[in-house]
Amino acid sequence: MIVREVTVKNKAGLHTRPASMIVRTASRFKSDFYIEKDGYEINGKSIIGVMTLAAEQGARLKLIFDGEDEQEAAEAIVSLFEQGFGEVE
Amino acid sequence: MELQPTAAPEEPQERVFQGVPAAPGIAIGPVYLFNKEEVVVEARPLAQEEVEVELERFEQAVQRAERDLDKISSVAREKLGEESASVFEAQRLMLRDPSVYDQIRAFITTQRCNADYAVAHVLDQHLKRLEASNSAYLRERVADLIDVKERIIRHLRREKLLSAVDPEHIIVAENLSAADVVLFSRRGILGCATDHGGPTSHVSIMARALGVPAVVSLHGLSDAIQTGDLAILDGLLGRVIVNPSPATLAQYRMRQERYRRLLEAQQYLVPLPAETLDGHRFTLRANLELIEELDLLQKYGAEGIGLFRTEVLFLMRGPLNVSEDYQLHLYRQIVERVKPAPTTFRLLDLGGDKMLPVAHREHNPFLGWRGLRVLLDKPELLFPQLRALLRASAYGPVRLLVPMVTTLDEFRQFLDVLDAVKAELRAQGESFDEGIPVGIMVEVPAVALMADLFAEEVDFFSIGTNDLTQYTLAVDRGNDLVARRYEALHPAVLRLIKATIDAGHRHGIPVSLCGELAGDPQATPILAGLGLDEFSAAPPYLPEVKRVIRAMHLGEAQALAAQALQARTAGEVVALVSAWLREHGCGLLQHMQADEASANGTLSL
Repeated sequence: MIVREVTVKNKAGLHTRPASMIVRTASRFKSDFYIEKDGYEINGKSIIGVMTLAAEQGARLKLIFDGEDEQEAAEAIVSLFEQGFGEVE
Repeated sequence: MELQPTAAPEEPQERVFQGVPAAPGIAIGPVYLFNKEEVVVEARPLAQEEVEVELERFEQAVQRAERDLDKISSVAREKLGEESASVFEAQRLMLRDPSVYDQIRAFITTQRCNADYAVAHVLDQHLKRLEASNSAYLRERVADLIDVKERIIRHLRREKLLSAVDPEHIIVAENLSAADVVLFSRRGILGCATDHGGPTSHVSIMARALGVPAVVSLHGLSDAIQTGDLAILDGLLGRVIVNPSPATLAQYRMRQERYRRLLEAQQYLVPLPAETLDGHRFTLRANLELIEELDLLQKYGAEGIGLFRTEVLFLMRGPLNVSEDYQLHLYRQIVERVKPAPTTFRLLDLGGDKMLPVAHREHNPFLGWRGLRVLLDKPELLFPQLRALLRASAYGPVRLLVPMVTTLDEFRQFLDVLDAVKAELRAQGESFDEGIPVGIMVEVPAVALMADLFAEEVDFFSIGTNDLTQYTLAVDRGNDLVARRYEALHPAVLRLIKATIDAGHRHGIPVSLCGELAGDPQATPILAGLGLDEFSAAPPYLPEVKRVIRAMHLGEAQALAAQALQARTAGEVVALVSAWLREHGCGLLQHMQADEASANGTLSL
């Protein structure tokens, strides 16, 4: 299991487009993927779950990956957060 | 329904519905009534051996829904851009969301019930949670989830959601969503007509962008019409005629043909300057709201953008906190495409008829919290937008237009904010146009009356006649009881326009007009005669305005304007200008917009 902490960088937060990107990316991997915010955990492969987090800019999230390709999954998802979902130039 | 003589029941009554024009064009054809009534679902217990079949039925429905949404998002991406597409892509992901898909399967298996009921049950749970959320963003996602639920259920019942819509039909609905219009347009429909909506609602904007003739605000139409009825949709007059008589039909076929020839004939005008016979030049610019509309500038010969409404960029995206960088990304694309001509960006104009997403209801929204008033109260909206627009000005000419200004105090307050933002950008080493022109919308009579003093502090005026007329005549256009008292050519409005133009010219600043009047060829000679510098209108209306300008001498227009200012009623003005246009032989589109009077085909092109 891999646990990574990230901060939501993009200004609009995890709205529709970033949420879709997370779910699409996570679904490419076999590993389970959960996102935890303020003690509340959701399935990171669920678009409704990710949207329900309503994570705004600056929110700290814990990403939990568990499975055979957890390393690759963690890299892919963390880099989405680092690039601000393509919104920051 | 009504009491009628029983004779000749095969001859249905012709009925005319008057609405609001949303997208130009004339369509004649059978109606497809698009009904979105609530889906009623009943539970049905299954025998154990039926469960497997039911799971397969559910899977098939999900796959068909996926194909639907793939198609919709690819059309949306191509025609409307990445942002609009992302909404449909999210809907598609919801179909296989484990908290939807897996739970529905589990429900069917454990409860041994039909898939329809399982779908409704599981999604209703999610809906309840979203509706109870205190995030406005999440509450707005409710509509997405309802769409998903209904789409799966309809597919379960093999009711084809949209594929029943045949090409060559006029779509009639109570209301249409953005997705509906996109998909319909792809299927080659003739036009759209809705009971609700206004000229700036989503349906109208989409219809214009996609070139589908449309009429909105046709109260009661969808109750009075059935699939298969023959109808005429007139997107110029804002009218739908159901079961037209053979005479009306013949008349409209001619009208349709004339419109087609008119469009053809306009082509030659596109590359020509908007110049009077005696060589006086006017500037014709476009009113736009979508990046995907930029192609229209060239198509209709607009010299830059006189009004880019930024609300839509925000509303398409859902939450109002569109990031500065994302805004810059959009504005920059626009500026780079339009340069060397300028792009006039109007700052977010919320309130009035443009709903704020926060549950914010006022008794009298047009006299309430809107335009600049909202921006000054909401620095979290104003600051990022100003920063993004200033940064965009490094890539091409940008003009800033401030909406709904009433007093000099509030305008000066705005200038202070602008100065602060500029100082911040300078300190951060960002480049921008230091002398970026700042103009105001003249749409409150107080501003028109004080225009000489405003003119000392602004770089240009843009007259918004839609609101100026409403405020001057105290008529709410959206109120059916008084809407016919909205008279765009009322002499009181013309006098305020004149006061604004004169004040602007005394101080050497250009005056533009960006209300619907700018695209109305009937108003063109008066506005030209009053000395207007710039006409800014929806691009399809520009060639006709140009035709009128090119057919007159400036002196004649000035004489007409002087007469119009002395008129006592709007009716007198209309009579004056109609006679004038006939004399000058340049009122072609106006004839099409006038009532059926000219339908005998005496006009030739």
